[in-house]
Amino acid sequence: MAAGGTTAAKQHGHPKERVYVIVAVWLALITGVEITISYIKMPDPVKIVALVFLSAIKFAVVVGYFMHLKFDNPALRKPFITGIILAGCVYTIVLLAFTLHSNVPK
Amino acid sequence: MAQQATAVEVHQTSTGIENTKLAMWVFLGSECLLFGALISVFLLYRNHSLGGARLHDVYDIPFTSVSSFVLLMSSLTMVLALAAIQRGDQHRLRVWLLATALLGMTFISGQVYEFTIFVHKGFTVHSSVAGASFFILTSFHGAHVTVGILMLLSLFGMSTRGMLPQEKATAVEYVGLYWHFVDIVWIVIFTLVYLIPAPK
Repeated sequence: MAAGGTTAAKQHGHPKERVYVIVAVWLALITGVEITISYIKMPDPVKIVALVFLSAIKFAVVVGYFMHLKFDNPALRKPFITGIILAGCVYTIVLLAFTLHSNVPK
Repeated sequence: MAQQATAVEVHQTSTGIENTKLAMWVFLGSECLLFGALISVFLLYRNHSLGGARLHDVYDIPFTSVSSFVLLMSSLTMVLALAAIQRGDQHRLRVWLLATALLGMTFISGQVYEFTIFVHKGFTVHSSVAGASFFILTSFHGAHVTVGILMLLSLFGMSTRGMLPQEKATAVEYVGLYWHFVDIVWIVIFTLVYLIPAPK
């Protein structure tokens, strides 16, 4: 009984199944838009910004709704967001280092 | 006494979060670093094809798009499995766990097929730095998906033997977190590796 109550408490605050299905439909639609953009002729910088923006939305929606980070204890966001920021720093540093000293044969 | 029993059940910690759940999120944060490094290496070397087959010449975007859609939908079935066990519906839990595992297997099959096509077109792990970085990145992701499938099948087996009652819903939640992480990594890979045009 008590254990069931605990489970019910954990479930409290999570979205209903209908919300998950709606979120999945939106994710599928965004993916469709991404693929369409990849085929449309437009300047590369515009295309890259649009694709990265849509990808970031999908990323945030999956983390927020399917992984429940939007509904769980906010303290759980810290380790994950730290990891993402550090990963971004790794790429930036490596990119800068290789841009300044690149002699790899093409 | 009753208060003491309740205190034990909710696993009170100084953070107010279950240790296992916090550990899972720290693990996922560290995985971001792993994939961040692999994606960085790929983006830096994507144009270093040494005169051989170039990555964007061998891509089959429609095929990879279907694979991506399959993996995206597996996140839906995974979260539905979690919702099922949280309300004590063992039958639907098994249905959604099996559906998630099958979608994952479909994705892996697609990846193996895609690799085979690439190799036949001359784009291999040995052909160039671009080839090596591409295959290492996507294979690492594929290995993560395979581990996820094994965990899903283990949960399915536990459920059929009655070893996964409603009280153990957290086990499904943790496997679900891992599975969704594999999905979000693919969201990034699909955009950065497949869709974004290579610099000329």
